[in-house]
Amino acid sequence: MDILKQFLGRLHPILVHLPIGFIILGLLLQWYDRKIRAHSKIIALIFLWAGILSAFACVTGYLQYLGEGYAFDTVKWHLWLGITTTIFCFLMYSKISEKPILVFLKKFPILLFSSLLFVLISFTGHLGGDITHGKGYLLEPFPNSVKSFFGHEIFEEKPIVLNEENWENSLFYEDVIHPLINNKCVSCHNPKKSKGELKLHSLEDMLVGGENGEIIVENNPSESPLYSRLILSKDDEDHMPPKEKTQLTKEEITLIKTWILHGNPSNKTIGHLGLQKELFLSFFPQKENKIYPDTTIAAAPSDSIAHIKMFGLHVQQISNVSTFLSVSSINKPSFSNSDFEILNPILKHIVVLDLGGTQVTDDIFDKLTSLPHLTTLKLDDTSITGDGIELLSQLKYLKSINLTHTDFGDSFIPLLKEFKALEKVYLYNTKANPKDWQRLKENQTVLDYGNYELPKIAADSIIY
Amino acid sequence: MDQIERLIREKLMRDAQAKTRRHFIKDCATGLGGLALGSIFLGCDPLEPKGKKEKIVFSDRDLNPLATLPPPYTPKVKSVIYLHMAGSPSQLEMFDHKPVLHKLNNQDCPESLLQGKKFAFIKGTPKLLGPQAEFSQEGESGNWVSNYLPHFKKVIDEVAFLKAVHTDQFNHGPAQLFMHTGSPRLGRPSIGAWATYGLGSENQNLPGFVVLTSGGKTPDAGKSVWGSGFLPSVYQGVQCRSEGDPVLYIEDPKGISRNLKRSTIDAINKINKEEYAKYADPEILARINQYEMAYRMQIAVPEIMNIESEPENIKEMYGVEPGKESFANNCLLARKLVEDGVRFVQLFDWGWDSHGTDHSTAVDLGLRNKCREIDRPITALLLDLKQRGLLDETLVVWGGEFGRTPMQENRGNKEMGFKGRDHHGDAFTMWMAGGGVKKGACHGKTDDIGFLGIEGRVSVHDVHATILHLLGFDHEEFTFEFQGRNYRLTDVEGEIIKEILA
Repeated sequence: MDILKQFLGRLHPILVHLPIGFIILGLLLQWYDRKIRAHSKIIALIFLWAGILSAFACVTGYLQYLGEGYAFDTVKWHLWLGITTTIFCFLMYSKISEKPILVFLKKFPILLFSSLLFVLISFTGHLGGDITHGKGYLLEPFPNSVKSFFGHEIFEEKPIVLNEENWENSLFYEDVIHPLINNKCVSCHNPKKSKGELKLHSLEDMLVGGENGEIIVENNPSESPLYSRLILSKDDEDHMPPKEKTQLTKEEITLIKTWILHGNPSNKTIGHLGLQKELFLSFFPQKENKIYPDTTIAAAPSDSIAHIKMFGLHVQQISNVSTFLSVSSINKPSFSNSDFEILNPILKHIVVLDLGGTQVTDDIFDKLTSLPHLTTLKLDDTSITGDGIELLSQLKYLKSINLTHTDFGDSFIPLLKEFKALEKVYLYNTKANPKDWQRLKENQTVLDYGNYELPKIAADSIIY
Repeated sequence: MDQIERLIREKLMRDAQAKTRRHFIKDCATGLGGLALGSIFLGCDPLEPKGKKEKIVFSDRDLNPLATLPPPYTPKVKSVIYLHMAGSPSQLEMFDHKPVLHKLNNQDCPESLLQGKKFAFIKGTPKLLGPQAEFSQEGESGNWVSNYLPHFKKVIDEVAFLKAVHTDQFNHGPAQLFMHTGSPRLGRPSIGAWATYGLGSENQNLPGFVVLTSGGKTPDAGKSVWGSGFLPSVYQGVQCRSEGDPVLYIEDPKGISRNLKRSTIDAINKINKEEYAKYADPEILARINQYEMAYRMQIAVPEIMNIESEPENIKEMYGVEPGKESFANNCLLARKLVEDGVRFVQLFDWGWDSHGTDHSTAVDLGLRNKCREIDRPITALLLDLKQRGLLDETLVVWGGEFGRTPMQENRGNKEMGFKGRDHHGDAFTMWMAGGGVKKGACHGKTDDIGFLGIEGRVSVHDVHATILHLLGFDHEEFTFEFQGRNYRLTDVEGEIIKEILA
């Protein structure tokens, strides 16, 4: 029996569409028949059926409410209006078929009934949709302005805009704490959805507190749940925000603490409170130290990349967010100077070029000057001697050159001074001599000659 | 020969007899029904864009599952070398300097520390065990290291320490699984499998994920710690052995020459190509590619696994013992593999389970020997990577599956003959070095006896999130759909440890 109940309950979302269809059909036929009035019998019959089906929908709906564990508050309006709709269907039937029992109905015009029924069925249906799809389902695709016009609470991320100029004059609560709490807490603590009966969308509501009392104890962060719950272990049940939600950063937690410590002021500026700039630095726009040139270029044509891959070179985008390419001869040790032409369609895109272990010689330097964005160059395990390396000084992004296991000679090291962005040169196992260390020191370029040693020590041979 | 043929005929006869008409009809029902169903499902795939059928576009991945893919974000490193000390090394004798614990040596552990804690072996009230090593601050960073690791101080400024890592597992198997797959239970892909799946491998002659073990045993958790879980099995770690063939069955069988092998593969591929011309199934192309790769690997793998060809000074620096199974050999191999474009190299060294049950597991004896076995190789590995310009693009991770207790183990509630420490997951040390890692950083702090993390605690998920970040992934976006939901290496947790990033 229970199975049948549950099953019937689950049929409700399908069944409701029958009376809806019947009612709409009845109303349309009424409209069609408004002058001739020749089809009253059929129309009455339609409303009779609509009534029976509505009643059935009400019953299944009630079973669903029992079976699926909805709160009565959620479904009550839908339920009452559904029953009203059913009653109206029967009233329509009685009125149109002029049943003698309900003579008093004659006093009201039919149009009133029709329009009331139309409103009822639309509204009941909408409420039902809200239950299955969640409130605001229909409004979701609309812009925020439309949503708020229809009285829907909207959650909007509020950015914290602090920088070198404005930070001292920014309001601590309004410009920092409020957006911070808004972004991380308000989605669960707002007038619509107040978990723990706590609302955090405004300072007044914050001071009211939640079901466990006040959440801010002035000047005492460790006694204030607004702060103390943030620093609990994430596995603690009382930790906020809940484990699976976006957490506050360490800097944000420190700011909440500072704010409570200073008596949770509502309209004081950061400068007025005499707070350290360090507290806010992480909210300043970050100057990102980019590895690769800070320019964007259109992606390289995919058929030329395919062509180069076919040739045997490894070609790949630096990342999905960059159109720069990394090219490597790892699977093509036979690569030689003359093969460089194959790279012509992607010269501007190459930022990493690995020609280690290939047949290239010093003549390659001239060709490499055609790579304006080259950042990392590897020429290890080749017969490079360094003749012509000065040509590369025009590559303004070149940061790292790997020349290990080559015949690179001492005399070319001073030429590296002219390289603007050069940070590292790897010279392990070359003809260059470590005594040249000093020469490039002021240039901020590290020359790594390698040849590290781990001399034997007594501890190497003591067995315990 | 006749006999064999007769046997085969007999077997076919028996098979035919065993299959009745009923079997045939049953097979038809399921087989043909399944086929029909398959075509129906194919036809109503709602996600299939219109007109897609006419044009089949092959990605590199269709043909070669190890083809490289760009990472979602700009990566800091290309490859990872993960050094796992299986059994869990004692942080209190290596990196976590606790002078107060020294003073409290042999005193009863306060009850308050033991409440609600689970230990693998400790019973009753254990006694605190002072550090058995001497510590000093080394390098410009002034980070602490013990005299168990005399060479390591040379590279201490390259390393970023995590002093308060914690795990919720206190037995080797589950803790190792957790450390490598993000879950203490079987079935999840390992970090190396995730990385290879997400990025592929540049060298077309080598596997993308190589595992090397030393110390006489493999990890307690078994091969699942380098398994592919629900990812395609091509992304699992390939274990290379130190003795004999580096990969089992990589040699051609006796009497089969390389030429014969070539013509065999050519013949198979020719048939496969004809099949492809008929059915245009990309799986067939993938298969052709696999045969080719296996053929190339037969040459490339033994070549790269041979450390004899390295120059003498390099061999000395690592302290290698050719022909033996040793951690030093594996460190040198790790460098060679990374140099040749292998994405993820996983080293396991067994023998760090310092319970103090015998000489080899005493924290003042056996542990010291283990430290000596890794000290020179690890230092050499970092220096060697550095001088080749590889440390900029490689991430080196060091750690165990958990740490060890500040208390002396008292197995069976008895005093033991040797000094040992029990398993301890609440606070232990790991370190990272390489591209994108802040040199000389030290994040996290434990209490005076090294029992709990009191500052900068990081979880195993945080470590994973950080490794993925350095490889160019957002650990929250890097997912694989399995059994109806998207899985992540970090499950629903994990925060990038920004404090150790450059």
